[in-house]
Amino acid sequence: MSYASESLEVQKLSEEALRELAAAVGADGIIVELSQRQTYECDGLTALRTIPSAVLLPRSREEVQAIVGVCARHHIPFVARGAGTGLSGGALPAAGGIVLSFARMNRILAVDLTNQRVTVEPGVINTHVTQRVASAGYFYAPDPSSQTVCTIGGNVAENAGGAHCLKYGFTTTHVLALEVVLPTGELIHFGSVAPDAPGYDLTGVFVGSEGTLGVVTAITLRIVKRPEEVQVLLAAYDTIAAAGQTVSDIIAASILPAAMEIMDRLSIEAAEVSVHPNYPVCEALLLVELDGSRAEVDLQMQQVRDLCRNNGAWEDRLAQSATERMLVWKGRKAAFAAAGRLAPNYIVQDGVIPRTKLPIILEEIAVMAAATGLRVTNVFHAGDGNLHPIVLYDASIPGQEATAVDLSIRILHRCVDHGGSITGEHGVGKEKQQSMGYMYTEPDMDTMQLVRCAFDPDNLANPDKLFPRPRLCGEKSGPYHLHPLEAAGVAEYF
Amino acid sequence: MKSTIDIDVIRERLVEITGRDYVTIRETCLVVRPANTEQVSALMEFANGKRLRVEVCGAGTKREWGNAVRPSILLETSRMNTVREHTWQDLTCTVEAGCTWQAMQATLAQHGQFVALDALWPDRGTIGGILATNDSGSLRLKYGSLRDLVIGVTLVLADGTIARSGGKVVKNVAGYDLHKLMIGAYGTLGVLTEITFRLHSIPRHTESFSYLSPTSEPLGEMLLSLLDSQLNTQAVQLRSARNSFSLDVQLSALPEVIEQQSLPLNAMAKKFGLERVDSSNEVWSARQSFFEGTSAFIAKGTMLPSQIAKTVSGIRRLGGDSVTQASGVMIAGIPSDQEVGLLALRCRLEEEGGSLTILRNPSVNSVDRWGKLPDSIDLMRRIKYQFDPNGILNPGRFLGGI
Repeated sequence: MSYASESLEVQKLSEEALRELAAAVGADGIIVELSQRQTYECDGLTALRTIPSAVLLPRSREEVQAIVGVCARHHIPFVARGAGTGLSGGALPAAGGIVLSFARMNRILAVDLTNQRVTVEPGVINTHVTQRVASAGYFYAPDPSSQTVCTIGGNVAENAGGAHCLKYGFTTTHVLALEVVLPTGELIHFGSVAPDAPGYDLTGVFVGSEGTLGVVTAITLRIVKRPEEVQVLLAAYDTIAAAGQTVSDIIAASILPAAMEIMDRLSIEAAEVSVHPNYPVCEALLLVELDGSRAEVDLQMQQVRDLCRNNGAWEDRLAQSATERMLVWKGRKAAFAAAGRLAPNYIVQDGVIPRTKLPIILEEIAVMAAATGLRVTNVFHAGDGNLHPIVLYDASIPGQEATAVDLSIRILHRCVDHGGSITGEHGVGKEKQQSMGYMYTEPDMDTMQLVRCAFDPDNLANPDKLFPRPRLCGEKSGPYHLHPLEAAGVAEYF
Repeated sequence: MKSTIDIDVIRERLVEITGRDYVTIRETCLVVRPANTEQVSALMEFANGKRLRVEVCGAGTKREWGNAVRPSILLETSRMNTVREHTWQDLTCTVEAGCTWQAMQATLAQHGQFVALDALWPDRGTIGGILATNDSGSLRLKYGSLRDLVIGVTLVLADGTIARSGGKVVKNVAGYDLHKLMIGAYGTLGVLTEITFRLHSIPRHTESFSYLSPTSEPLGEMLLSLLDSQLNTQAVQLRSARNSFSLDVQLSALPEVIEQQSLPLNAMAKKFGLERVDSSNEVWSARQSFFEGTSAFIAKGTMLPSQIAKTVSGIRRLGGDSVTQASGVMIAGIPSDQEVGLLALRCRLEEEGGSLTILRNPSVNSVDRWGKLPDSIDLMRRIKYQFDPNGILNPGRFLGGI
């Protein structure tokens, strides 16, 4: 795989399609001017860019439905976009396709504190949900590092995680119901405010489908009571292995922390320069957050501190105030951006391994990195074995980008070799679609494509993502015709 | 095209796949017990080619749930019953679908771990059947439902394709979560053969508390207060029993903490005018008792927590009883002559975003099992069609005739 660094401007929409799209949203809801469209050419994966043919800014579900209807009639590919913070190219436009931006659909529609449910439009920013319910003692648990800007719609598409999913689960754990516009233009509802709606768990399969099954227009979320006590411990180690062992020991002691994170020396230094979290200077930093009732947290924290020291932690420091805790987390969440201070370019990876394989994979990453001459820094959600190796490189040096991409992919494949996954929270998108074939067999992926064919038979919703190859969902009635793409050898019949 | 092949021909082919000892005839149906995923695959490929209807069955404890299926082949998973792997350091395990819930938990308990869900009839019910019906109990409040606990599956499609979904790590967003689609699908999309769970440590200290009241309202108020509290509750249920109602609460924490929290808990009960009575761990399997009688409707209701007290009273007025978890999932037994009241209750639940599914119709009377079809029913049918175009897997069992 190689990244094309120049942007593509290809097919244009027909006059008629443009007219219909404009009619769907009004003149101020459509962007056609090239320089403005350019803003939408990529997401957080900036190495891949495609300028969309138009950008639509709907204000309501009806407008979304009208836009998708036009796309279905004119066979225009579409991709939904929240804040564009995704790291796997999930919001990268398709050539000749449009972008549906949810910037204007950012209202919190209903708050039901009694039943701990909040219904939002997809453009609502993640932290705004918590802000809305904080005064009543609640929060919205999934906390991707980009949570102050990223949107719930994007979180739903990617099944966003975050540091606290060790205890609280992922986006999918917290989504109860969805209002969805299918690629066919139908507006339907998945799930319900009550649990276990009869029928297939469409919500479950939709969350994390990376925009390939349709577009959400409203989301009902579960909110969580804020715990009485939160404590964050920072422990400094001479080796990552010792920090990793502490994580295993904490789990073995039947303690389920809200979060357990490890950062290596390079990441610590970069975070320090970037947001000054005042981390101890060490080879490996373990961050443990415990929450719950005060008495329980006090007792468990004592156990955790003992385990840290038993594993050679030479400093274990408890954040002393809410402000200090915030600062600790700010440093951790700034880790990706801070990598920009270490090198002109970097690739953030998102592999998962069974927790016990942590020492082995870190050793292997070090060896692989040394062989390429590139530096790799590591931050990870150690509790659930989710690694974020950050491959540092300089794109201005010929060949280095290709080496970096190759290294990052090889790291992912090692994760799969150890029984893990190519992505824990960033999604497959455009970035890792070729690695899907490393993790899953053809029949596995063919079976997933059955779902796609049921939702999106014309392959219009965020096409050419997630799977290594496009598949065509044959017409179910009438005589068989060779599809043009099939005839051209681009795709195979399915 | 209607298939008219001879039963002996079918039988011979099944014998070729599984061996003679594992194929029997029961009434008009061939019962086959495959040993592994590959045999299931061969069976399905054959059945699909001949358009034979296949019903999938574990121990059959919930076989009456969903519409009846008249299969040509009954595929029993009882021989696929081992815990394949328990990587306790990683808090995961992989189990074959025909393993009973209890056998699995016994293995996991050797390392102080469990799948954090209390299923019906754990001694007999199989993992496959529990997944197919999306069973859940009181622990759901703390640990979530099967969709939060299952991290991967191996399944066999109607045409024999063997596919894997998810994996063996808790955090994984690669590809579609097919396993979520399989949970609660009543075996209409594929045959589950292996399941990987995320595990939790068995709580070392729990204590149950029960509070009585002649009416359900104050118990409902207390239930909502508990959901809004910071107490370490792992289970809360509202239960009607004869002429009174009970709220059962289970705390899970270190012993010191339980002791400390029992004070505000009892104070809360006092505020709502409730009387504390002796409790025990048995209350948590109370929902199972409804299935022991034979003459009543047995239903699964779903509702918002704020609707629980009202619904429990409604069931009582029909002469029935119920157990409802704080998550909003109810199991109720309702007298067989209360069809009209039952349908009215279903209407109300549906209007408020819930549902009422009939798990058992009494022999003298029957109502539609699934209730109002969702607006996503066409999509569900398209999914079924993609997975099982010939409609051979548990045909008709699910809602809308799927």
